[in-house]
Amino acid sequence: MVSDSIINGQAAVSSKDFAKKKRANRTAKLKQCKLDARREQWLSQVKNKGSKEESNGAGGSPQSPLPVSDERKSSLDNLDTRSRGEESSLHDSDFDSMANSPTSNVLGGNDLGKDRPGTSSSSSSSSISSGCCSGNVSEEDDDGCLDDWEAVADALTANEKQQHPTTETPAQPEIPIASAVPPESTNETSEAGTLKPESKGTVPRSAPNGRAWRPDDVFRPQSLPNLSKQHSFPTNAERRCGRGTINWACHSFNSQPSSCPICYEDLDVTDSSFLPCSCGFRLCLFCHKRILEADGRCPGCRKQYDVDWEMGVNGAFIYFCTNCELVRRCIFVTRGHHVCEDLSGSY
Amino acid sequence: MQASRARLFKEYKEVQREKVVDSDIQLVCDDSNIFKWTALIKGPTETPYEGGVFQLAFAVPEQYPLQPPQVRFLTKIFHPNVHFKTGEICLDILKNAWSPAWTLQSVCRAIIALMAHPEPDSPLNCDSGNLLRSGDIRGYESMARMYTRLAAMPKKG
Repeated sequence: MVSDSIINGQAAVSSKDFAKKKRANRTAKLKQCKLDARREQWLSQVKNKGSKEESNGAGGSPQSPLPVSDERKSSLDNLDTRSRGEESSLHDSDFDSMANSPTSNVLGGNDLGKDRPGTSSSSSSSSISSGCCSGNVSEEDDDGCLDDWEAVADALTANEKQQHPTTETPAQPEIPIASAVPPESTNETSEAGTLKPESKGTVPRSAPNGRAWRPDDVFRPQSLPNLSKQHSFPTNAERRCGRGTINWACHSFNSQPSSCPICYEDLDVTDSSFLPCSCGFRLCLFCHKRILEADGRCPGCRKQYDVDWEMGVNGAFIYFCTNCELVRRCIFVTRGHHVCEDLSGSY
Repeated sequence: MQASRARLFKEYKEVQREKVVDSDIQLVCDDSNIFKWTALIKGPTETPYEGGVFQLAFAVPEQYPLQPPQVRFLTKIFHPNVHFKTGEICLDILKNAWSPAWTLQSVCRAIIALMAHPEPDSPLNCDSGNLLRSGDIRGYESMARMYTRLAAMPKKG
């Protein structure tokens, strides 16, 4: 999958960035670092959303073969548009309705023919950017703990409060809710013919997502935008976890020790995304290697570590080594040392 | 090696921090050798060891925490899983069930738990084990209490 590869690459890159940060400032507290970075990412995401919105207004239409984050965008940002897109989504695919609703929202369903050529290029670029976004998000998921999420959510809502008046006010008067539905649905059926093949190919996962926020939509018009936004935020996070891009990351919500329980050294980013055993016991890579050389049993449950733990069964730890520029299993990345082993290693 | 030393040093700091919290265990590191520790543990209540203070000697191997520490009683104790003469302890977590996640502190806690719940089926002290296995709880308790008074309590007067 295109989006998957993007996500992986992005995760590796961001972990590299983190590692650099850590190396540059070892004394800085890791958690604080992560929190700040996460906040920045979210804020920049929100900003991107804002800029996208503006470009839509200028003439481009956001028919991205949208993966996760675009839907999130629509669920977070364009809450007011849902009420319109929702009815048509009953017979169309969810993806189409959501992708189109902003367009018809801003353009009122005009100039569709003119938009077509611009759409394809913009859609590809936006698909990449949204892929990056989702990569960031899922990477954040894996080491975040709950209070961090709350902080992030606070930052997000705070930002959106500022942003919302600008996006909402022009949309509202143009198209009254009831009258907007029929013309849209006709437009969408025509668009669906052109769009569906590529959307099917790139994003097969878009359909189940609509289900996740559809119950929200039922009472959406009555409730305030902010309330349901906060509501939809955690469900989005859960959904992303459940999808299985990084499903093992969900375990880390439960308990995340800040230091290795074996050597009591602080866990760095690579260590804290390392989950060698299904029992959830975490330790640093260094200690894991030492244990593998000794009796090879997990300190948490005393079971033998899986021989093929790098194959992705119990939380794979295959990653893109920035030094050797190969996909490798990293054995030891602490204190400037860097010892890598090939995937066809001795284990 | 370096790793075990670093870990023991961290444990030492942890012990200093938790000293007030856990008054049943008093872990002391040897002044000159961080691989030698002694501990004073209080006999658990509602056992024949209640009121006694027992001294343990820890010898920590270089491979710690991958290898378990060697622990033995310095204070004489009448217990089915403790050798009466040498003070050697028969406890699975000190042998094959050791996990590097254990600490010296948690070993002390495990030994206190062993004092409260003896395992007569794997005895190092056969007399004690036989008393328990034959169901003579009273005989076992009186013997254990006697040795606690003799060896683990401060002499009066």
